[in-house]
Amino acid sequence: MVTEPAAADVWVAPTWEQVVRDHSARVYRLAYRLSGNAHDAEDLTQETFVRVFRSLASFSPGTFEGWLHRITTNLFLDMVRRRQRIRFDALPEDTERLPGSAPSPEQVYTDTHLDPQVQAALDALSPEFRVAVVLCDIEGLTYEEIAATLGIKLGTVRSRIHRGRVQLREALAHLAPGRRPVLEEGLR
Amino acid sequence: MNIPVSHLAQEAIAALVDGELSGVAAGRAARHLTGCAQCRLAVEAQREAKEALHTSRDVAVPGDLLSRLQAIPFTADVSASGGFGGSGTLLASPDRVIGGGFSAPLTPQETPDRPGQARWLRRGVAAGLAGIGVGVVALAVSLPSGGQPGPVARPDTGSAATSGERTAVVPPVVRTVTVGTELTGGTP
Repeated sequence: MVTEPAAADVWVAPTWEQVVRDHSARVYRLAYRLSGNAHDAEDLTQETFVRVFRSLASFSPGTFEGWLHRITTNLFLDMVRRRQRIRFDALPEDTERLPGSAPSPEQVYTDTHLDPQVQAALDALSPEFRVAVVLCDIEGLTYEEIAATLGIKLGTVRSRIHRGRVQLREALAHLAPGRRPVLEEGLR
Repeated sequence: MNIPVSHLAQEAIAALVDGELSGVAAGRAARHLTGCAQCRLAVEAQREAKEALHTSRDVAVPGDLLSRLQAIPFTADVSASGGFGGSGTLLASPDRVIGGGFSAPLTPQETPDRPGQARWLRRGVAAGLAGIGVGVVALAVSLPSGGQPGPVARPDTGSAATSGERTAVVPPVVRTVTVGTELTGGTP
């Protein structure tokens, strides 16, 4: 009977400035790892916070970070799909992979301090694999959290992470032969 | 005789690396690995890819993006959102933006008030937003007038009070103005 949750009473609404200060770095980092360039990362971050602002009052306690992850990744996947559609419509042949706005390695490093080869290898993954791998290995989410974020099954999370990492390693070996992976093609 | 007949499932290999296997399954996997070099290599490959990403360092949010995020309450088209019943689910008062409640660990500051704020305020969105507008305009109008030689004498009382109350939502532009007046007033 005395087990009323007191949290709701104690909770104090944050200022918008606090929301931005506390969460913008995480959102921007995630957006950058997913999109691979500062321009898209800024757009995604901006749009994420606009969505947050619009629906702040409908948010239920407990998972603010999860909410941000969900919005950011969904916006990213929307963006990718939209572009794929546009390219498909506009370019009739041989649209395997457009250079697009791919930043130079120097630019990547200046922007993110992430090894440009690692970012390039990430960019080479299909968006679905990339999202799963980034959420797991960079954001540190559990499989369950990833499943909830993306709205997919646990088994799908596992296989996307596994296959994403296999591809990532292959891309890295290709980009940087000096890395000397533990095994060559032995496993295929 | 314990000859490894079948290998670990790929999903299990990823899950093992991420510590996502249950105790029983992890034990079984460990037993298999002692006798199977091929699976050991596969585990090592997953681990390697994970570590390549894990070393990624923090990304700094560009300064201009940060100010754009801070300015969202003034620039976002709140009424345009169709997703939620009340688009204006968000409420902004001059001091704080109020949501339905979330768990971001924020420093408690002043006014622990208003339990039913969300619904109550939802209705007052228009008024609230108008209020902000008025506040901003008032600041914008009143501050530059400090440029005249006369009133410069009282920047500490005047601007300290306003900025203390309104830091939360005052957009960067207005703050710049404040700095400017303080500077001009700083030389008696």
